[in-house]
Amino acid sequence: MPRTVRATGSSADVDDLFAEEVIARPYAHFVRLRERDPVHWNEKFGLWVVTGYDPVVWILRHHELFSSAVIRGAERAPYPPVLPEDAPLFDEVRAFRADQLVEQDRPEHLEQRRTVHSFFTPTAMEAWRPFVRRAVDELLDELWPRGRMNVVTDLAAPLPVRIIARLMGVPREDMDTLRGLADSILHLNRGESDRLRPLTEGIRGIVEYARPFVEERIDDPGDDLISALARGEADGVFTRHQVLANTGLMLFAGHETTMNLICNGLRAFIEHPAQWDRLRADPDRFARTATEECLRFDPPVKSTQRIVAREAELCGKTLSPGERIRWIIAAANRDPSVFQDPDRFDIGRRPNPHLSFGSGIHYCLGVALARIEGQEVFRGLARRFGRFELEPDELRYQPSIQFRSIESMPVTWSVPA
Amino acid sequence: MVRVEVDRGLCVGNAMCVATAPGVFAHNENRQSTVIDAGGDPAALVLEAAANCPVSAIRVLDAETGRSLFPPEGAAREAEADEGMTP
Repeated sequence: MPRTVRATGSSADVDDLFAEEVIARPYAHFVRLRERDPVHWNEKFGLWVVTGYDPVVWILRHHELFSSAVIRGAERAPYPPVLPEDAPLFDEVRAFRADQLVEQDRPEHLEQRRTVHSFFTPTAMEAWRPFVRRAVDELLDELWPRGRMNVVTDLAAPLPVRIIARLMGVPREDMDTLRGLADSILHLNRGESDRLRPLTEGIRGIVEYARPFVEERIDDPGDDLISALARGEADGVFTRHQVLANTGLMLFAGHETTMNLICNGLRAFIEHPAQWDRLRADPDRFARTATEECLRFDPPVKSTQRIVAREAELCGKTLSPGERIRWIIAAANRDPSVFQDPDRFDIGRRPNPHLSFGSGIHYCLGVALARIEGQEVFRGLARRFGRFELEPDELRYQPSIQFRSIESMPVTWSVPA
Repeated sequence: MVRVEVDRGLCVGNAMCVATAPGVFAHNENRQSTVIDAGGDPAALVLEAAANCPVSAIRVLDAETGRSLFPPEGAAREAEADEGMTP
């Protein structure tokens, strides 16, 4: 069955997910697509692109129809393309990612998620809030007198690593090592043709770094995250490689996403100064709803994908086994059938049932921690800082369909003499 | 005996409650949690299911006194503040 777009414009216009314009300004593009064809066959990349709120929720809640084994089952070459001589490195990346929790389906997924699920519950994470607040305070106290920072490298990158390192129970003096590994693993989300080199260095690095901790904690577990994963091996749920691959996952998943929440949220505040003033007037009152609105308005993860496992009907389209399906969180979060005045950034918005953490059985494991980090960062910024000035006119984003990641974000503020 | 309430304005269908206490929780046609029998599993399991909810959508109350067992009474106000924030 031909699935060519014939409605308006050429299929290339609609389907070029990596076009500069789509990376820079995804909202206009995907909102147009949602209005025209909410479950759309993308001819260029050979995958379904879903942009309506209700169909996205439906997909997320029907895990038996859509497999998460996206990398495990992938036969495709990496995109954007990599150097031909680096192709073997992609197998290494694939082997690493294939052993991560996010790639599993039931029943294995449930068994594996259980090993770490209770570590991340809202109640368990709330106990970490004072630590997160202190980490934010330390960083911001250091940054404030400078009058300028690159939000990406000075604030958004160091904070999540500091926190996940503590949760993993690794020594504070290893922070620079871990930060270096985390930075290398961020190449998962880059477009450079030689990105697999730093990425595989990061993967090998975290595996070697974590190995002695796992060995020690299998016999003598503590209450940290590596111990929880190691207990999974002791219980026969994980192999050793799965424990190590998931340690890497925890480092990456909590890093890139939290960075994007901080950068994209601060960008929204800079562009909506009245909302920034509103937060500054009462940070304790608005920190929670403001964080949710940042998550909705410009989500850290733009899009996620699955493989169709069983034939399914969705909005009059037939999805066939083996087909790829990708949904655009950034579009669903602005669906006017759910969100009133969806393009307005409103830090008091309630209810705010955004899909930035997903839904269903794969709902973000780190949700409670992400919320606390966002709340504490925006609260901490609002308590200290006045208006920020963004230095460049145009921010550049990583050429990723999955992540909404600002490359560099220099800002200034005035410091009283 | 406990009374169990699920806030479907919050429930994201993560299904940890169904996995933890399958005698108490099941999924409805929207794949959201629903209480089939508050006494279907021991109270300890129901409390574990409530604590495991990633969006704090489950409340467990003492059926006789109405006292909140989860979230514990002090924390109940925090949960109220989050009401209506997640799908």
